[in-house]
Amino acid sequence: MSYGGHDDDHHDHQHSHWGPHDWTHGHGGAPHNSWAPIMMAFGASFFLLGFTKVFTQTWDDNADLWTYAIHSSEVGILIAGLAIFFAGITVFWRQDWSHDGSYEAKSEGTPFRTIDIRKVALWMFLMSEMMVFSSLFSTYLRYRTGFDNCEALFESGLFVEGQSCWLPASYFIAEGGYHQENAHAALGFMPDTLIPGAINTFALIISSYTIVLALKTAKDASLSDAERNSKVGKYLLTTLGLATLFLIFKMVEWFIGFEIGHGEDALFHSPSLLADGFTIHASEYTYCHEWDHHGGADHAGACAAGSSAIFDIRMAASTFYVTTGTHGVHVFGGMVALFYMVIKAFRGGYTPENAVSIEYFGLYWHFVDLVWVLVFPAFYLY
Amino acid sequence: MSEHGHDGHHTIFGFDRYKFNFWVLMIFTAIEVVAVALTFSMRDAVSMNTVVFILVVVGIVKGFGIAAIFMHLQGDPDSRVLTATALFPVFFIVVMVLFIGLTHPDAADTLPDWCRPGFYT
Repeated sequence: MSYGGHDDDHHDHQHSHWGPHDWTHGHGGAPHNSWAPIMMAFGASFFLLGFTKVFTQTWDDNADLWTYAIHSSEVGILIAGLAIFFAGITVFWRQDWSHDGSYEAKSEGTPFRTIDIRKVALWMFLMSEMMVFSSLFSTYLRYRTGFDNCEALFESGLFVEGQSCWLPASYFIAEGGYHQENAHAALGFMPDTLIPGAINTFALIISSYTIVLALKTAKDASLSDAERNSKVGKYLLTTLGLATLFLIFKMVEWFIGFEIGHGEDALFHSPSLLADGFTIHASEYTYCHEWDHHGGADHAGACAAGSSAIFDIRMAASTFYVTTGTHGVHVFGGMVALFYMVIKAFRGGYTPENAVSIEYFGLYWHFVDLVWVLVFPAFYLY
Repeated sequence: MSEHGHDGHHTIFGFDRYKFNFWVLMIFTAIEVVAVALTFSMRDAVSMNTVVFILVVVGIVKGFGIAAIFMHLQGDPDSRVLTATALFPVFFIVVMVLFIGLTHPDAADTLPDWCRPGFYT
């Protein structure tokens, strides 16, 4: 592979496109060519293609419901995709294995000349991530502006039973859900259903700060090795704990709900989105426009007469779960990396000369936080 | 997130820049949650437009704080080129949003006069 007259230099740097890179200090450059990203891209594509073939959903006219099937005969492409993907990761890992972490190769191409090459790579990765979330947001915008709002539709009196309309997740979260007129609000000014999302928002902001503190501490040459290892490990462990908290509250919000106390005397009561009927299968969601105030505050009372309608809200639910779920997957990916980093930190893996992996992980983690800055108001609050 | 080699970038108003940014983010997140809570507790007194305005302002401040200070897109020698890199997808986002607008059912009906045929004749 030729790089415009620098062939000889590159042969100095790298013996093979598959084997370990030669990260020899002082050459001023870095190995550029690797098949690993292409392998991983193909593997991911095959996996996703296989996923759509293995798991299918079809409408059964006779039964009048969606039926789901798993086609085991198609599982080969799914497994092949996974195998290619992990082979790519292995190649990547093997190439990087020879890197001792204390020397950062510089990028040679314009406009990134003299910038650490792995930092450039990380930003390229974040660019592709931006496109992923941008496509999800544009989908959300398109459908949200294309569908009638269920509430407005009901008020217009022009609705048809079973009609598709948009019932935003904020109806269930920020406004107290289906029983919003009797929504439980232990804090008075906000419904209990908003608590998990609000806690998660603060958790991500705090975790962004703890990762910054981990990097600052790792670079602090005034600390003894033992003290530095302990502090960096604790900051990373705190970040991991906050990420875990985020996913736990996500599960609470989606599937579990929470209640402190019991029945009408409950201090906090927040039904899950699943319990409230906000699911990707909600083709016949019973919408209540006005709640019967005399129906009791037991979250099981009746909708006021003439105030209910059946709507198809699957599109709103799907965009919510896909977008927030994709973000959740990114949090989980970060947790896997953090788990490794915590162990590395307590074993003395980070020194003032070798802390870039915390810096690069921090960029990813801040990006995940940044996405949540957009997801939270757009999907939870508006 | 790299460390700075010169003084002046370490502090904001005399405070450690990371700690300062962290507390700004915490305060603005609290404002964000309270603003939405107002739509619940003061449903008839606070309009949705007001809340959306607050959410947009808070989102811009928080996004800037995270990108500029935590991700170091401001103040580092390589900040400019990395900021340009980070903003590159914006082009595609603009194209996507444009198509969202053009494919909206009401797109043709709600176009402003200056965008309609015959405006310049």
